Amino acid sequence: MAADNDPESEVFEITDFTTASEWERFVSRVEEVLNEWKLTESYVGKSSPGKGAFVSGSWGEQSHDVHFADFKFHITHHFLKEEEGQQEDGRSEEETLPPAMHDLLCMSNDFPPRAHCLVRWFGLREFVVISPGANCEAIISESKCNLLLSSVSMSLTNSGCQVPMFVQIQQKWRRIYAGECQGPGVRTDFEIVHLRKVPSQYNHLSGLLDIFKSKIVSRGSQTWGDGTVYENHRNHSVRLSRFGSRVSFGSCAAPFSHRRSVYTPGQKVAVLDLDPLEAPHWSVRVRTADNLQCLLGDFITEFFKLCCRKESAEEVLGRSHAEEEGPENSDISSALSKLTEPAAPVPLSKLSVSSMVHSARKHIRRRRHIDESPLNTDVLNSILLFLFPDAAVEKTDREKTTPSNSSRKTDQERSSQDNLFLHLKSAPSDSLTYRLALCLCMVNYSYGGLPAVTHLWQEFVLELRYRWENNYLIYGLAAGPPDLRCCLLHQKLQMLNCCIERKRSRDEARKAQEGSRERERPASGGRASASSTREGSGGKSWDSWSDSEDEFFECLSDQGDMEASQNEGGRDGSKGKAEGRLHPYNNMTLLASAEPLYVPVTQEPAPMTEDQLEEQSEVLAKLGTSAEGTHLRARMQSACLLSDMESFKAANPGCLLEDFVRWYSPRDYVEEEVVDETGQTVLRGELSARMKIPGNMWVEAWDSARVTPARRQKRLFDDTKEAEKVLHYLAMLKPADLAHHLLPCILHAAILKLKQEESLENIPSVEKSLQQATSQANKLLHAANRDHKKVEDFINQLVAMETAIAEARSLQAKFAVDEEEDNEGPAELKRFITSLLEEPEVEVMGAGQARIGRTIHRLFINAQRVSRYPLSGRHAALDLSRVAHWQLGRFCFKRLVLIG
Amino acid sequence: MEDDVLTTLKILIIGESGVGKSSLLLRFTDDTFDPEQSATIGVDFKVKTLSVDGNKAKLAIWDTAGQERFRTLTPSYYRGAQGVILVYDVTRRDTFTKLDNWLNELETYCTRNDLVKMLVGNKIDKDNHDVDRAEGLKFARKHSMLFIEASAKTKDGVQCAFEELVEKIIQTPGLWQSESHGRAVQLTDEDAGGGSCGGYCSLL
Repeated sequence: MAADNDPESEVFEITDFTTASEWERFVSRVEEVLNEWKLTESYVGKSSPGKGAFVSGSWGEQSHDVHFADFKFHITHHFLKEEEGQQEDGRSEEETLPPAMHDLLCMSNDFPPRAHCLVRWFGLREFVVISPGANCEAIISESKCNLLLSSVSMSLTNSGCQVPMFVQIQQKWRRIYAGECQGPGVRTDFEIVHLRKVPSQYNHLSGLLDIFKSKIVSRGSQTWGDGTVYENHRNHSVRLSRFGSRVSFGSCAAPFSHRRSVYTPGQKVAVLDLDPLEAPHWSVRVRTADNLQCLLGDFITEFFKLCCRKESAEEVLGRSHAEEEGPENSDISSALSKLTEPAAPVPLSKLSVSSMVHSARKHIRRRRHIDESPLNTDVLNSILLFLFPDAAVEKTDREKTTPSNSSRKTDQERSSQDNLFLHLKSAPSDSLTYRLALCLCMVNYSYGGLPAVTHLWQEFVLELRYRWENNYLIYGLAAGPPDLRCCLLHQKLQMLNCCIERKRSRDEARKAQEGSRERERPASGGRASASSTREGSGGKSWDSWSDSEDEFFECLSDQGDMEASQNEGGRDGSKGKAEGRLHPYNNMTLLASAEPLYVPVTQEPAPMTEDQLEEQSEVLAKLGTSAEGTHLRARMQSACLLSDMESFKAANPGCLLEDFVRWYSPRDYVEEEVVDETGQTVLRGELSARMKIPGNMWVEAWDSARVTPARRQKRLFDDTKEAEKVLHYLAMLKPADLAHHLLPCILHAAILKLKQEESLENIPSVEKSLQQATSQANKLLHAANRDHKKVEDFINQLVAMETAIAEARSLQAKFAVDEEEDNEGPAELKRFITSLLEEPEVEVMGAGQARIGRTIHRLFINAQRVSRYPLSGRHAALDLSRVAHWQLGRFCFKRLVLIG
Repeated sequence: MEDDVLTTLKILIIGESGVGKSSLLLRFTDDTFDPEQSATIGVDFKVKTLSVDGNKAKLAIWDTAGQERFRTLTPSYYRGAQGVILVYDVTRRDTFTKLDNWLNELETYCTRNDLVKMLVGNKIDKDNHDVDRAEGLKFARKHSMLFIEASAKTKDGVQCAFEELVEKIIQTPGLWQSESHGRAVQLTDEDAGGGSCGGYCSLL
C-alpha cells in the first residue's frame, strides 16, 4: 500500500464512527473521559504518599455522565490531592509497576478512618468508579457485569491509563465493586465478596490466610515475586478481618452506632482467633443518627415560623377583644384614681399596683368568658409578673429602687456579655425586650401558639399604656435616648420610657410649683380654681394638664406677663432677671459687662428611634442639593439652635451674639493681639468671617431669639405625641412583625445558651462554629432587609450545634455508667469523648482490657440484645437521646420558671 | 443615567467646627470655594456621581456641624455610612488633638465596623502650619485610615481624597453590596465515602 506512506493521504483520511455500536461508543466515551482527566499520562516518578496522608490530605473528586445506550452511568475520579511542592523521589525508570500497585503494598496508609470505602479496603490513592446513575437500576446480572468489566478493560488498554477503574455492581447499598488495574505487563483484578454470615472457618486469621493462599495459587500471579505477594496479602487479610461485627451492630435507629475496628499487626498473625475482645488495638468511630429533634432548635424554628404568618392581631383574636379595650382602660384608670386619691382609705404603702391592675384585669376577663382567652389567666399573670417584676414591689419602694437598679445591672451586663447584643442588634440580656422575646417564644411553643402570642402582646401593650398614663417608668430598660444599636422594638420601648420620664419630671415640677404657689397665694382668681377642678377629676388630672398645654416645655403660665417684659428687656440689651442658669462657663465674663458668662439650662434634643431618623434624613435629603435646599435644611434644624439661644439670653441678660458664640462655637470667635492707641498689646476678639456674613442663619436666629429660659420654651420634644405614636405603633404590630422584631433577641438567647452549654462540655468544634456564627449573624441581622432563607440557614446552624452538644452529652452518659469502678479518672474519659467527637476514628487505649473498652463491649452487647426486639430497642435508643435533649432544653424552663 | 450606577454610597464628613468640612464638600461637588461659607447647622447633604475604575458610584455625602451642642444630633447620621472623612485643620493643633474624640464617637455610633475611614488635613494653602504631615500620617496609620492633606481653597487633594475613599469602599468586600456573601459554616464533615463501612470481604 504505497498510498499509506504518502503523508497527504493521512490528511484526508476520514475516520467513520457512524456505524459504531453502543458498546463501542461507551468504551470510547470512557476513554475520552480518561483522556480529559489526563489519567493516561505516565505516573512514573510520583512519590508515594507519606504516612497518614490519606487522613490528613484532602480528597478530590471529578465526575461525568456517560451513556451506554439509554442507560446512564456516572463516572467519578477520586484522588488524593497532591501537596504542592512535593518532591519527586528518585524512583528508577525501570520500576514500572503502576502506583496503584505500590499503594496496595504500602503499609503506611492502611485503614484510613474516613475515606471512600475503596480507599479503606484497598489502600488506593487514586481510582475511577463507574456506577449506575441516579434512578437507574443496579447492575445485577452477571453478563452485564462482565460487559462492563470488559469495557473497563478495553478502555484501560486503549488509553494506557494506569489508574485502577472500578464498576459498582449489585445493589448500591452493598457497596460491591469489581475493578481492574493495568500496568505494562501487569494486571490486577479487584474483587469483593459479600457474605451475609461469616463462615466459621474464616472467623480467624489463619482461616482467612488460607483463602488468600488458595486464591493466589488458583489465579497464579504474573510477574510478582511470591514473597512480596505474601506480605501484601497478609496485609489484606487484616483489612478484611472483622466485618462480621458490623452487620450485627449498628442499627440505624440508634442515635449512635459504634463500629469497632480490630487491627492485628503482622507479627501476631500465627494463631490468632479473630475474637474482637482479644485484639490488642481497638479503634472506635461514632456515627450519629440523622434528624435529631432538639428542643432549643424547635423553640427557635417554631418562633421563626411566626414571622411568616399573615394575620393581624384582630384576625387572630377576633373583634371582641379590641372592642373591650375601652372598658378595661377605664377600669384601670378608676383603679388608679383610687390610688392617687389623697384620702384613699387604704394606706398607700400597703397597696400594690399590680394587685390593682390584676384584679381589674380579672374582672374584665370574667366578663370576657375565661375559656375564650387563648392564655390561661394564671399563666398570663405570672408572665406579666416576670416581665414587670417591679409591679410586685410595693409602690413606695418601687419609686426609689427601680431606676438605680436597672441602670446598674445593665452596666454590668454590658461588660460581661462581651457586647454580644451589639453584634446581633438585639437588646441587652437583662432588658425587658429580651425577656419579652423569651416569653413570647415560650408561649408560642408551649402555651397555645399564635393566639396566645397575640394575646400576650395585647396585654403587654396595655401594661405599657397603663405605665405611660400613670407615670411609671418601664422596668428593665437602660435610661437615656433609644440605643440605635439595639433592635427597633427595644428602641421604641426606650422611647416610651423617655416620654414617661419627661412627663413625670414635668408633672413633678408642676406639682411642686403648684404647691408653692398655693402657699404663696392661696386663692387668687381663676387659675387657682382651675387647678382645683383639675385635682377634683382625680387620676386624670395630670393627663389633662399635658394634653391641654403640651406645647410648652415647662409651662408656668402665670409668669406669662413677666416674660413679655423680659423679652423687651432682652431685645434692647438692658438687664433683666437672669433665669435658667446651669453653671458659670470657664470664668468668662460677658463682653458688654462684668457679669460672668453662664451656661444655660437647655432643652434636651428630641430622642429618636432609627425609623424616625431614617424618615428625617429622607426628608432632609429630599430638599435637594441646591442652595435653597441647604438653606431650608438648616432652617429645619435650627430649632435646637434657637432654643439654646433663647435659653442663653435668659441666663445671661445683656449678652451679645459674640458671647453666645464663645460658648457654642468657640473657634468662631477669633482673638488677636493688637497694639492699641496707647501702645499696649491687648487681646481683641471678633466673630469669625463666616459668622459676620450678613443675614447668615446664626445672626438671623440670634435676632429672632426671645429671652426665654428652657422651661418656658416650646417643647422641642412632644412627649405626649411621641408616646402615643409609639403605643399606636406597638398596638398595630401584627404577630409576624412582632416575631420579626424579636428574632434577634431569640437568636441572641440561643447563642448565649449554646455558649453556656458548650462551656460545660468544652467541645472545640462547637466553640469555633459559635464564633463564626456570631460574626455571620452580625451581617445577617444588620442588613436592611433580612433574607429569610439565610436566617433559616443560620437557625439550622444553631440546631446543628445543639445537636453536637447533645451528642457529646449522650456519649458521656453512655460511657460514664460505672465511674466509681476504678480511678482512671474522668479526665481520660473526657479526652476520649472529645476525640471521638472531633476525630474520625479514635484508638482505644488498652483495647478490650481497659475500662473504655469494656464499656464499648457492654454497649454492643446491649445493642445486640436490643436488636432482637427491634421495637423496644428503638425506644431505648431514643430515650437515651432524649435525656441529652431535655438537659439542653431545660434552659427555657429554668429561665422561665416564674411562668411555669 | 441611573441605570449604570453601580451603587449608592453613604459618606459622612466629621471633625471640629471650622476645619473646612463644608468647604471640602463644596469643592468636591461644585468645584467652587466660597470664603463666605456659613457655619453648618445640624447636617447638610450633597450628592455626586463619581466614576472609579469604570464603576459609577453615587455618593450621598452628609456634612455635619462640628459644634459640641450639635453633636447630640449628628450621630444619628452615622448609621449605615460606608465611608467617613475625618477632617482637621493643619493650622490649628486643637482640631487635630480632638480627633480621638471623633473616633470614639464613630466607634460608638456607626453601625458597621468595616467602614472606610479617611483622615484629611485641610487648609494646607495657609502658611502657619501647626500640625505637620508626619503627625497626620502617624495618626492615620495608628487607626488604619487613609490619609491625605488637602486644601479646599486651592483644590489640592480634594478630588483625590474622595476618589481614593470610594475606590477603597468598592474594594472592601461586603461593604457596599446589599447582600453579604458569607459562607455557611458546616459543622458536620461529609466525606465522599460516607461513614459506614460495609461487611464485605474483598478477595484478590
